[in-house]
Amino acid sequence: MRLKTGSLSNGITRRCFLKVSAIWAGGAWIVGVPALSANPYRVLTDQEAEIMDALADCIIPPGDFYGGKDALVTRFIDRQIGPYGHLQKEKEMYQTCLSALNRGSKAEFGRNFVDLFEEQKIVYLTDIEGGKYNHQSNERGWGRFSPSAFFNTVRNHCMMGFYGSPDHGGNKDYVSYRMLGLF
Amino acid sequence: MKNKHVNAIVVGSGAGGGVVAKELSEAGLSVVLFERGGWAHYAAHGDDELTAQRSFPLYAFFGPDNERYRRVAVDRDGNQRIVYPNDWAYHNNAACVGSGTVNYGAMAWRFMEEDFTMKSTYGHIPGSTLEDWPITYADLEPYYEKVEWEIGVAGDDYQNPFAPWRRKPHPMPPFPHNREAQILEEAAKRIGYHPFPIPMLRNSVEYNGRPACVHVRNCVGFACPVDAKNGTQNTVIPMAIATGICELRIHSQVVEITMDASGRATGVTYFDKEDRKQTQTADIVVLAASATETPRLMLNSTNRLHPDGIGNRYDWVGRNLQGHAYCGADGLFEEEIYDDFGPGASVAICDFVHNNPGITGGAMLANEFIKLPYAYSSGYRPPGSARWGREHKEFQKANYRRNASIRGPVQEIPNFESRVEVAPDVLDHWGMPVAKISGFKLDEDIKTAEFIADKAEKWLQAAGAYKTWKNIPGTGVSGSQHQSGTCRMGNDPQTSVTDKYGRVHDVDNLFIADGSLHVTNGGFNPVLTIMALGYWVSDYIVNEWERGNRFR
Repeated sequence: MRLKTGSLSNGITRRCFLKVSAIWAGGAWIVGVPALSANPYRVLTDQEAEIMDALADCIIPPGDFYGGKDALVTRFIDRQIGPYGHLQKEKEMYQTCLSALNRGSKAEFGRNFVDLFEEQKIVYLTDIEGGKYNHQSNERGWGRFSPSAFFNTVRNHCMMGFYGSPDHGGNKDYVSYRMLGLF
Repeated sequence: MKNKHVNAIVVGSGAGGGVVAKELSEAGLSVVLFERGGWAHYAAHGDDELTAQRSFPLYAFFGPDNERYRRVAVDRDGNQRIVYPNDWAYHNNAACVGSGTVNYGAMAWRFMEEDFTMKSTYGHIPGSTLEDWPITYADLEPYYEKVEWEIGVAGDDYQNPFAPWRRKPHPMPPFPHNREAQILEEAAKRIGYHPFPIPMLRNSVEYNGRPACVHVRNCVGFACPVDAKNGTQNTVIPMAIATGICELRIHSQVVEITMDASGRATGVTYFDKEDRKQTQTADIVVLAASATETPRLMLNSTNRLHPDGIGNRYDWVGRNLQGHAYCGADGLFEEEIYDDFGPGASVAICDFVHNNPGITGGAMLANEFIKLPYAYSSGYRPPGSARWGREHKEFQKANYRRNASIRGPVQEIPNFESRVEVAPDVLDHWGMPVAKISGFKLDEDIKTAEFIADKAEKWLQAAGAYKTWKNIPGTGVSGSQHQSGTCRMGNDPQTSVTDKYGRVHDVDNLFIADGSLHVTNGGFNPVLTIMALGYWVSDYIVNEWERGNRFR
């Protein structure tokens, strides 16, 4: 469970609580929806989102301008693979491959992906990109997805989330436009 | 309710169809202009790069949609896959009123005289179906002029020593250059090239009651925020509607051309917005649905007299698909050369369109439109550059405002195997077989591209780029927004689909008025030629009509 600033004691953030209070469904106000986490995502679990944030920060690292995580690339991806998104056909890929990426990290480095040193993450991702794990995708839980193809897709989606319009959920504060001097 | 019979049906409201609808209705013919999409305005789309017509990784705002449309793409090894409209292999053209003329870059090129006589000029090219057009530049010149004045072009061809002859200048003055184009213009002159301002279907001054261009960055791929870009949707189509006898019927997907027992076209079958199957009858049917959808419609329209599709007696419908073998070069500069004065492309040369020793044809070369942030994140960098990570981000920061690109649409030499077919086992939303696209570029095209890319690279070097690299196209089939050639016009019914007036050889009242007619596609963006052909074909129909020919 990720810690959120501003959490209420019962683990529901104020923002999340207000959002839930406002759900109108099937002609009745839903009250007391149980088991709400602080997870602001529609599809990704806490753990998947955490891995995705770490991945986004490798693809677009933070520096004098936001990296992928702070630019909300994960939110962009989550929205697009969600119910009203335009990349719904990639949902299963994310649900399979983010945990497979982590499983591989444990097998290779003995640690969760998010806990690797930056250099280790880059070595690992470079190997994935280069196809090093493609032949053993089955035993590592990648299912029908090729690790290198997954990486290429995530790379592209991160670029979309970082450099595309903030209307789609990423590019927070128009960070990429400012970085390129367009704002 | 049964639709009222009209004089003419026009299928497709893009560059060709919009013109035909206006010309026929102004001549007194009642017209139904069919469009599968709806109106697409700037207010509804805005500046969203991820759904614009130039790179639409999320979806294609201007259509067609991914839910109802698909095609089959065949690669060079014969592998087939189903592709959706926002996949490059779909070869998308916008599905909205005006089609690509709403969101194009709007370069307004006349083809050169040699572009109509490619076979006479260059001889037979092995493996090709290279041929002369049945009409010449002189035949089309008055119609180019009509496009330039009625739809509106800004330019000054007198600065281009290679420009074909003309009777009348462009109606609007040319556009000024941004900083990058100024640097390129000076460099071109230094090395003996002959730079000039690109003619554009865009207002450099107020024209036809619409304002001058405000030089936004989001131009190509987008609708114009001030309506200064001239397409058929804001010129000829409103003129057609204003006649009172042209009905624009949107959200209507035409699926078949209907025929009578004598082999005459009687109209079309289509699905309306509520997916109800409808028929529309007419004296004349004009197809202007693009070089992919026009042949698809013909191949999907079979009957006893036309078992392999209308106009396809000799198996030429869908053949000779071509676009352009785009090539060029990119360069990096020490200084910032980006000044955010859009749309970017404004300086061109025609030094290498023809008369290149040992080369068949060639291309004009022009500076590239402004690269938007997402597009720049994945292309336009030296081979071997980092694709992600710290180095990638640093490259973005360092070079976004310090790069220039030159691109040229290399004239492709048509071949019989590059084609549009229908895939009988893959159906669209309405149950019709979808288009199947296969083929390749000839070695000749790659050779030309290498020659042209070298000229582009030398231009960038002369402009002071400290690092340059070439862009050479792959060998896959072209098409996309420049798609053409699939129902070529010709004098011999055995080696062409229509006569020189766009009339399908064996169906007296069926015409084509889009890029399908092109025998060859020039070393230029083709839209002005498609519009000119719209006027050319219309002129023939109207003359016949006025002589009393009712095409019955």
